[in-house]
Amino acid sequence: MTYHLPALVFLVPFVTAIGLPLIALRDERRCRPVALAALSVMAALSLMSLGSVLNQGEIRYAFSGWAPPVGIEWVADEIASIMVVAASLLALVSLLYSSPFPTQTLQGRSVPYYSILLLLVSGLSGVIYAGDLFNIFVFLEIVALSAYSLVAVPGGRALVSAFRYLIMGALGASFYLLGVAYFYSATGTLNIADLAQRTPGLLESKAVIGGLLFMFIGLGIKMALMPLHAWLPDAYTDAPDTASPILAALLTKVALLVWVRILFWVIGSGDSEQPVVVFSLVWVLGALASVSGVILALSHTDLKRIFAYGGIAHVGLVLIGVGQGSHTGLTAGLFYIINDAVMQCALFLLAGVLVHQYKARTLDDLKSVNIRSSWVGGAFVVVALSMIGLPPTGGFFGKWYIVLSAVENRNYFALVAIIVTTLLTLAYFARVLERMFRSAPKSPQVPDTPLSFRASVAALAAAIMGLGLWSDHIVSVLLEATRGLGR
Amino acid sequence: MIHTGHESMIVRRSAALVIPLVQLFGLYVLFFGQYGPGGGFVGGVMLAASLIAGILVFGPDGQPAATAKKLLKTDGLGLLIFAGVGGLCLIGGGAFLNYSSMQLPGLDDPTRRYLGIVLTQIGVAADIAVAAVSIVFSLYSASSNEVSDG
Repeated sequence: MTYHLPALVFLVPFVTAIGLPLIALRDERRCRPVALAALSVMAALSLMSLGSVLNQGEIRYAFSGWAPPVGIEWVADEIASIMVVAASLLALVSLLYSSPFPTQTLQGRSVPYYSILLLLVSGLSGVIYAGDLFNIFVFLEIVALSAYSLVAVPGGRALVSAFRYLIMGALGASFYLLGVAYFYSATGTLNIADLAQRTPGLLESKAVIGGLLFMFIGLGIKMALMPLHAWLPDAYTDAPDTASPILAALLTKVALLVWVRILFWVIGSGDSEQPVVVFSLVWVLGALASVSGVILALSHTDLKRIFAYGGIAHVGLVLIGVGQGSHTGLTAGLFYIINDAVMQCALFLLAGVLVHQYKARTLDDLKSVNIRSSWVGGAFVVVALSMIGLPPTGGFFGKWYIVLSAVENRNYFALVAIIVTTLLTLAYFARVLERMFRSAPKSPQVPDTPLSFRASVAALAAAIMGLGLWSDHIVSVLLEATRGLGR
Repeated sequence: MIHTGHESMIVRRSAALVIPLVQLFGLYVLFFGQYGPGGGFVGGVMLAASLIAGILVFGPDGQPAATAKKLLKTDGLGLLIFAGVGGLCLIGGGAFLNYSSMQLPGLDDPTRRYLGIVLTQIGVAADIAVAAVSIVFSLYSASSNEVSDG
């Protein structure tokens, strides 16, 4: 039974997504409870799979019983299992939160909406589990196609943003596929475990270097790395408030995870010169992305847009950690990916709550309302602390390990970039918090915060605190899982 | 795009002759997939192509268009067949889509594998056909919207 868990984690939302048109044939209102049930089952299964992986070691699942590298292999190691648990729980929370939003905005399209949402979640688990580069491409495309259509749901401006995202995303996918083809021509395999044995001797090969760069550009678009980020702020701002938390939490993170897998699991950090060059490229671009991301966040007034640029900056922070090429850096990057997924989900969720309860989309709107709900205010403070990187939140410990890896490498330029990012993050959150907690004299009466809002923001704030308080435990699991990787 | 059928007698007659042949050949390719080139994807595309040709020639009120509209309702059924076969294998204790452990009583191993492949191919073909037809319908409705806007 435990052997099949990775496949089941993927199949539950996938089959529900396909079957949803039949289940909801008579009554569209069935979609939501069915989707909720599917995601709950998925979360439970992913927790079970994490438990079994932690106790009995990794699961290598061969589809159709064909042994890899001929067959399709899924690898549920500690890292993949932790990421899938994070993804499925975040998806569940963001679906729970969306219940007070009026369904009229979907205009009778709730069947496709929930189908696509479930497809997105199953695709995410596929990207995380897939054990070869081509299947990663397939699942990245499932994720991307679902994301394009989710962004386009509100119509109007969102259509333009979704179209831009589609063009950029298709470009990114093509670059990635081109890189995969180069790797295949050089090594004759796409299975990650196989590649890990063959590439170290081939790092001087032009095909491998070219393939690596193409994959980096392709994934760079998908993870919204700074010069290639243009699609992200528009897409996240215009996406429906119900879907943006899940999109913001996981779209860029899975691309980051794939890139980390390629850097450490495929080419390793080796002893030759080539990977060192790649790693320096990664952290330099990461440093640029983190600093320019926060500067851009400071220059905007739309809340969702500010948070989107904050997310872009955090992608840069992860790359700084990963780019150190060390064991500490890798662990720091992975830990920060989890933290950032939770923080982004929480931020966009709170932005959705502010829109729904207070009609506040921009900083100026925030000035004229009083946030009476201590749930919303409290959760916002916790998320802000974590984004800035203050203890005892998860963000602090994530940043701490990234700083540690930079100091270990005596990489003071990266250190300066992290500090500047932290200070500027403080600056833009100060702008938001100052307007949020200033009392407005003539604020309109606001109905009570619905239970699902309170529950979901509380769950995410608790998760952020939990990631901080148990960071020692989580990091030691990650350190154990990445033993032998990196310098 | 498609407002009426094609008026030419030659086109209508030859379409009526060719479309069944294309469908027959599509089915052949679908079921021959285990022994030679072909399979679910190609078979599905051929079935869809025959329907699309029928829609183009006989117009939105013709018999092929009516069949295609009925087909659209089965969107996702093909994938369900695919996942169902995989699920039967899972229940039998094998990996997803490992046909030899498919839970069908009274069959020996080669027959199970044969049936498993055929069923998944049928699922794939159904899904491809529905997807292709739905692309045509969405293009058609988009262009007719433009007409009504103008």
